[in-house]
Amino acid sequence: MNDVDARLLRCFRVVFPNVAETDLRTASQDSIETWDSVATITLANVIEDEFHRPVDFERLDELTSFDRFREYLAEKATPEMDAP
Amino acid sequence: MTEALEIIQKAPREGATFDVVLACGFTPLHLRTFLRAHLQQRFPSRPVNVAEGLYGDVPGTLAGAAKQPVQAIALALEWPDLDPRLGFRSSGIWRTETELHETVDAALARLSDAILALPAHVRVAVSLPTTPLPPLFHTTGWQASTAELLLDQKLSIFAATLAQRRGLSFVNFRRLEEDSPPASRYDLRSDLLTGLPYTVAHADALAAALGRLLAPAVPKKGVITDLDDTLWDGILGDAGPEGVSWDLASHQHLHGLYQKMLAGLSEQGVLIGVASKNDPDLVDRVFQRPDLLLPRARVFPLEVHWNAKSGSVARILDAWNIGADSVVFVDDSPMELAEVAAAHPGIQCLRFPKGDYAATLAMLRELGDLAGKDYVSAEDALRAESIRQSADFRRQAADGAATETFLAQANARIEADWGASANDQRVLELVNKTNQFNLNGIRFTEADWQARLVQPGAFTVVFSYDDKFGPLGKIAVMQGTRQGARLCIAVWVMSCRAFSRRIEHQCLKLLFERFEAAEIRFEFAPTPRNGPLQQFFADLTGHPPCAPFAITREQFAEHCPPLYHQVVASREGA
Repeated sequence: MNDVDARLLRCFRVVFPNVAETDLRTASQDSIETWDSVATITLANVIEDEFHRPVDFERLDELTSFDRFREYLAEKATPEMDAP
Repeated sequence: MTEALEIIQKAPREGATFDVVLACGFTPLHLRTFLRAHLQQRFPSRPVNVAEGLYGDVPGTLAGAAKQPVQAIALALEWPDLDPRLGFRSSGIWRTETELHETVDAALARLSDAILALPAHVRVAVSLPTTPLPPLFHTTGWQASTAELLLDQKLSIFAATLAQRRGLSFVNFRRLEEDSPPASRYDLRSDLLTGLPYTVAHADALAAALGRLLAPAVPKKGVITDLDDTLWDGILGDAGPEGVSWDLASHQHLHGLYQKMLAGLSEQGVLIGVASKNDPDLVDRVFQRPDLLLPRARVFPLEVHWNAKSGSVARILDAWNIGADSVVFVDDSPMELAEVAAAHPGIQCLRFPKGDYAATLAMLRELGDLAGKDYVSAEDALRAESIRQSADFRRQAADGAATETFLAQANARIEADWGASANDQRVLELVNKTNQFNLNGIRFTEADWQARLVQPGAFTVVFSYDDKFGPLGKIAVMQGTRQGARLCIAVWVMSCRAFSRRIEHQCLKLLFERFEAAEIRFEFAPTPRNGPLQQFFADLTGHPPCAPFAITREQFAEHCPPLYHQVVASREGA
């Protein structure tokens, strides 16, 4: 697991504390009952905090799983984002 | 945000919940998260629940909350709550400003009615609109339009009228501006895309402000101050009584401001004492100066000598009969502050930053925050004088052989109020602030207290006291339930100002007599501070208790000393 994955996992753990860590890596809106629109916005804010980069709220509808968030972060990757 | 979520995750799962409704017309999102986290920090041992209300319907949310068993309501108003067209999300526009103001008047009236209909025991914190109005008025952005000024006026009248309701408080918008600058509050993107008009930082700051009002810290009861280079500028021994200063002319008005603040705190019942290494005769002469802004009568006691200040503080705490954690100590010397802090764990030490204007202002504000309170009661006005009288009383009563004569001649009168209102703020304040004579140290919110008073068989009695030395006001509260010939006391507190008068014996005697009780059970629990109560029970039963216990009428009668009070029942309760 690379550093971005680990940090993203930490964000998911904060927002979904009751979901097992192994399940978080494959998490999606379908697999987590408590993942609603509020959770998506909360996730976006926690990820903004963690990666020091604003999340495009216009694209929140696309960010429906752990993988989608990871792809989004890869797309927006900057050198400073990689810094812990 | 991450920190707030982690605080919530670590919250206790067990225990009495603190239930709050967050009433706002927008989507609360992070405001709710931050409010819960801030309240959780203020109630570390109980789970906090924050329920959100109806989108766009604050009066409806308040009406719903009035029917729920909630302890508190946080109300975050924004402009669209007064008229949706005042929000950025609305595409509507008013035809005339008169029509706009009519809508706002009606909305404020509905809000006011909904707030006043809330149960009195529910604590309410309100923030008035914190975000900018949309640029829809005819003036330029840097000119205040008549319409905006009228809106501000309506809000001020709305708030000033409601602020008189007990348990309702408004966020101080000036202080909020420091914690959350207006230009950094509004997030148009979030407002339009999610319905939350706040930036994350502003949601955090506003939640913190609302949380402070819903769960206020216990105010400090006393301030102990140094004199030289603190209450006044200069070293008295060098400059002499006429040489020390605190006025504008001598450029030492920082000390004058401090004196003025102490005088104000004293007016609201905060005890003021002096701990100074100085010549007592010289200090007396300064306190005779008519231009001193802190009158001599407001200060008791004065510990003025050349011994260690920790000893002075100990004697002042003894005279006041309160713990170090209820007191602020102010001195310009870091060494003196450190010496007192080491000897009195829990005391709040503030350095008087002589000559530093910004730091002095910050210190004065911190002092105000530490000692500030919701309201000032009749007992607050009595406190300083009754402390002085209590010291006289204890000194005279300490003469063993003369104690009986002294008590018999004190003309003591106890008033027992059996019909005290659940909304009497002084009663709950006494219950929540008393440490030394406190049955178990349990603290209550207004709602907790209300729930306790409506239990089957519940009774509450509030005792007031006066004697030839003066009135002490309401000084003791007992709350319990009656089960046949057995009483169960769950709450018993008595002000430390009332010690040594056998009031506690009279309280029990009255209970036994009124209810013809055969036995009283006490829900006692030892606390680090309730030693005086433990000693009282040890005198009655022969050993200090360590858990709930009962005493019989005969046991009490056998150990009760002579009582000389005249007893009056002021109101009859259940």
